[in-house]
Amino acid sequence: MRTARATAGAAFCAALVLCGLVYEHPLVLGALCLATLAAGRLAGAGAQLSRAAKLCLLAAPLVVAINLVANRNGLTVFWRLGEVPPFGQLDLTLEALAYGGALALRLAVMVLVAALFGAAVDVDALLLGARRVSARSGLTAVLAVRLVPVLARDARRLDEARRCRWDGGGSGPAARLAVLRAICAGTLDRAADAAAALEVRGYATAGRPRRARSPWSRQDLAFAAAAAALIAIAVAGRVAGIASFDAVPALDVPTRSAELALAAALVVTALAPFAARRGNAR
Amino acid sequence: MLVEGCGAGAGKPSSEATLLVTRDFGRTVLADENRPDIRGADTVMRLLQRNARVTTRFGGGFVQSIDGLAGGQEDGRPVDWFFYVDGALSERGAADVRVGDGAAIWWDHHDWGSGPAGGAAVVGSFPAPFRDAPTRLACLPARSAACETARLALRRAGARVEDATAGSVADGRGPGMLVGAYAAIRAAPSARMLEEGPGASGVYARPSRDGRSVALLDERARPTRTLRAGAGLVAATRRGDRPAVWSVTGTDGPGVEAAAGALDQRRLGERFAVAVTAGATVALPDGGTP
Repeated sequence: MRTARATAGAAFCAALVLCGLVYEHPLVLGALCLATLAAGRLAGAGAQLSRAAKLCLLAAPLVVAINLVANRNGLTVFWRLGEVPPFGQLDLTLEALAYGGALALRLAVMVLVAALFGAAVDVDALLLGARRVSARSGLTAVLAVRLVPVLARDARRLDEARRCRWDGGGSGPAARLAVLRAICAGTLDRAADAAAALEVRGYATAGRPRRARSPWSRQDLAFAAAAAALIAIAVAGRVAGIASFDAVPALDVPTRSAELALAAALVVTALAPFAARRGNAR
Repeated sequence: MLVEGCGAGAGKPSSEATLLVTRDFGRTVLADENRPDIRGADTVMRLLQRNARVTTRFGGGFVQSIDGLAGGQEDGRPVDWFFYVDGALSERGAADVRVGDGAAIWWDHHDWGSGPAGGAAVVGSFPAPFRDAPTRLACLPARSAACETARLALRRAGARVEDATAGSVADGRGPGMLVGAYAAIRAAPSARMLEEGPGASGVYARPSRDGRSVALLDERARPTRTLRAGAGLVAATRRGDRPAVWSVTGTDGPGVEAAAGALDQRRLGERFAVAVTAGATVALPDGGTP
């Protein structure tokens, strides 16, 4: 995936996100999570995806718990908490639990795809394309993206400097807040420096760049085709009424062969571009 | 009528609850379930969802539509779904009120532009409001045929009746009932609310101060006709979150007797309040049919 052109990789990630937004069915969302994890591993971004998956595992119980308390829908009560200010009569229902689970799975799809995008898609190349639409916007976006790791490095150095102080530099949230305050203050300085450097180098007079034409590789075509196929499958499944998910008022999660086939189709389609590993270089 | 408690599972289901769904102040009955599907210690919302097609707002806290009939605007007027538990307008959301044993749950879709902001009561759930706590009965005069008729109707309905004065009828411990000509009972604040119209009382009828006439109002609080000699009125009012006080009243003695005679489920059912004239019962708000 790293060898495919950025637009094809971005389209592939966008298609996965679209599938995650179109469906609420836990089976489909679970399949998308698995497909994204596998895609990340095959793209050589297993470590980044693992970190993202851990984040999802931490966030999921929170999402489920909030939904369980805030969502008053559902007919199947499994626990009554009685009068709980400020919520009133609080009944925990299977439907709210299932809906919270589906929300957590959807969140996981989004986070995992974002991690895949960050690790396997060349953001600079993508932003180069944006230059033709608006040079200044493209430049601003590139700078913003570039400044994030710079600021992170600054933070690490400042934190090391703090810890090297004779008194240990303090500890806990107060010390971390001091570092954050210094970073925020330094951000404006860095922005002013970057703006001055760009001005001196004549970026203000930059015109619209020429279109850079390069032939589509096999990888480009594979990922673009997979993106199109994912969207087609998602739309077709939706139109056919496959994998509907109703948690209100009563839980209705059909799990027939059609749903299983849809989930399998999404996984196979998402992983298909990785099948041809030969000739990765364009 | 509220079931307290917490624990695993759905809880013990309430028995003998009823569910009524109407529109336009009870004029059109959409669903009348004497034995609704109820499982566990259901809330009013869950009871409704088990027995009708419901859409909700605010995370399931408020009803937006029942069987496709939604709240919003009708003819430029705000309309919504309101629910009454044992004849009293609930001031809490349907997801916060549990259905008690024998509770009469009534959902009505109506214009809320002319009604009170809260604290309204209706007579259509008779006799449910009188089943639990003792009923304070105040008659003016103390011994009259209308008073005995009302007492008998309450006892037949299973109410425990305690005698009270007009001043103590709304002591907040249970429902109350005032029986007497309007000129006599208007000393009680609960009855005097009727003079202030639906915006204060929730009752679409306005007796005159001297009690000799009763103006019937439509759902926009516009007078439709005025009843005079021999006219009766059965209406319920509430002050704040206190139990309702029913006024069984009239323009004169025969009017009060006619009103007391209307104290039965058949004549009061599905009505917000009723006027009685020439032996006929008129549902309020008045549709204008003579």
